[in-house]
Amino acid sequence: MNDSAVDIKNIKKTFGTFQAVKGISFNIKKGEIFGILGPNGAGKTTTLNMILGLLKPTSGSITIEGYDNVEDSLKVKQLIGFMTQETVVDGYLSARDNLTIFAKLYHVPENEIEKRVNKALEDANLKEFANKAAGTFSGGMQRRLNLVKSMLQEPSILILDEPTTGLDVQSRVGMWDSIRKLNDKGITVILTTQYLEESDALCDRIAIIDHGEIKAIGTASELKRMVSEGNVLEITLKPEDVDKATKIISNKFKLKLSVEGDIIKGDIQKDSMGLSIKIAQYLEKEKIHVLAYSVHLPTMDDVFIKLTGASFRDSTSSENVASQARFRR
Amino acid sequence: MTLFSDSITIAKREMLVFKSNLRTNIIRSLMFPLIIILFFGNLGTSVSNVPVAVVNLANNQISTQFINALQGQNMINILTLTNQETALSLLQNGEVTAIITIAPTFPQNQNGNPSVYVYYSNSQFSTVSAILPFIEGTASNFGSAIQQKQQQTAPIVSSNPTTGASSNYRDFIIASVIIMATAFGSIFGSGFSIIVDRQLGTIKSFLVAPINKDAILLGKLLAGTVQSLLYGILALCLGFVFGAGIAMGVIGFLWIIALIFFVSLSFNAIALIVASRIKTVELYAIVAQAITLPTWFLSGAFFPASSFPAFIQPFSIGDPLTYATSGIRDVMLSGYFPLSHIVTDFSIMIIFSLIIVIMSFRLFKSTID
Repeated sequence: MNDSAVDIKNIKKTFGTFQAVKGISFNIKKGEIFGILGPNGAGKTTTLNMILGLLKPTSGSITIEGYDNVEDSLKVKQLIGFMTQETVVDGYLSARDNLTIFAKLYHVPENEIEKRVNKALEDANLKEFANKAAGTFSGGMQRRLNLVKSMLQEPSILILDEPTTGLDVQSRVGMWDSIRKLNDKGITVILTTQYLEESDALCDRIAIIDHGEIKAIGTASELKRMVSEGNVLEITLKPEDVDKATKIISNKFKLKLSVEGDIIKGDIQKDSMGLSIKIAQYLEKEKIHVLAYSVHLPTMDDVFIKLTGASFRDSTSSENVASQARFRR
Repeated sequence: MTLFSDSITIAKREMLVFKSNLRTNIIRSLMFPLIIILFFGNLGTSVSNVPVAVVNLANNQISTQFINALQGQNMINILTLTNQETALSLLQNGEVTAIITIAPTFPQNQNGNPSVYVYYSNSQFSTVSAILPFIEGTASNFGSAIQQKQQQTAPIVSSNPTTGASSNYRDFIIASVIIMATAFGSIFGSGFSIIVDRQLGTIKSFLVAPINKDAILLGKLLAGTVQSLLYGILALCLGFVFGAGIAMGVIGFLWIIALIFFVSLSFNAIALIVASRIKTVELYAIVAQAITLPTWFLSGAFFPASSFPAFIQPFSIGDPLTYATSGIRDVMLSGYFPLSHIVTDFSIMIIFSLIIVIMSFRLFKSTID
């Protein structure tokens, strides 16, 4: 019990007739970086909002460091630092004013506010811009300001909702670095992301959510092993050859294949190299021109596609419809 | 007690945002008042040669002198001397703007009845309101001349409706401009601020902070009230620039501040209740106009509330802005604030504000999307 930062027991959330979260349970240990992954409308944000106390679960309970997040909501909010998905800075206010206001709202002792604000400006590398309007900052600077803003009350848990969405590569790597540094100090980090490589690079454990349910939970390598014990074979062909090649490989080598456009994918079990070479040779014999051929360990992409399906989902999906229904009531 | 200190923090944040847009905010709040004062405030002030018909029932020497005096200036143009019936048909056909009827007893007022009557159509009110003081003045000249001949009272000019004792239309309209700046500033200021804050995610970041959600409401209410009070005072200053005055002096200024304080408080609370339930700025703009325009017009913004048709009267009586406007007019135009008016105006404004503020704590919804 004592080593768990967040303990979620069978939470459900229903909006009208739409069930956004259908009974989720998991446990986040103190000091880990925990990723929540899922396509749009999967229930990620709803789950996060319930952890934050912005939404009350229809049923189930959430315990944060031993405190119930409904009954002791003020105590829980003090423990959690939160960085929203939208970059929330008051564009018209200076970086310093932005920080001072939130230091006060998080009840940082009056005589410490200035010290902490200065420290935060330093951490975010914004010291020389302290008195400039935050609206003039670049996306990366605003995100850094937002991150230190959510750390002002020195929380033990940090929740980041898509911390790197829309950032350029340098800013993203910088953000990862900052998150790791905070984690090294013992802060539990929970993040949602749509970048699979981000979850792979950053997270100790990952939960994949879809349709309001947990599809899988575990470390990145555990999840990858779920896809295949062996390797993933990927063959890129000319479009006209795809059908023929699929037939040949599945008949001759008894492999289960999936086709995405002009790419054929299949799982190869152990002792794979021998098999993959044989397939390559056979295709050459059949005069099928192979554009690219690769055998690799499963990636988070493979895990994600396998668990959530490959179909596209746009953002006017059920979750938004549900929130509109709620608004009308 | 953290509720209060958290509210102050949020109010400070609102004021910082307000301050950073100070110039835009002030220009926006003064634009509409300025246009109204410029366009409506000068209505009728430079009218000349207004066509009128005169019905001289007195038909004596003094009445003839009176008619000559009226014609002597450029203000009115007497088209015809005729009987009442013809004059009324001229008025109906729009050939004359008003009829001046001189009673048989002129220049004496009989049994308190006036001896000069001015008839006009309501559609010509603004022009007539400009010539009325002139007719009154001319008639009273004859009153004072007659007084030397031991006459008791000067002739009374009867007209209905009028804009008030010794006022011009500009002074009349400044009271409603002050109310407009305050009420519109409240509804649009607080309303847009909450919707924009929700869209940008600021509300969400307030809600995840360890504060009571009432602190968000209270903080925005405090800051909004201060801001729209400022708009009201600016509109009053604009009125000063255009020559309006407060007949009651400094005390009158304090009465005005008190009245517009309650308008600010109650209308900010209304804005917060309504905007907390509306998602988009576009929709809110429609709702805000549906709230502000009728309440403003019903308060007797452009002409006295008493001259509304009977079926509108109850709405006017039920409109809190009516009392704030009439209070300001008492202070600015009449120069005294009768105790009975003070009691009515303030008790209605205080009770209304209290009810709305209490309602806002129950009805404010801090939704995040």
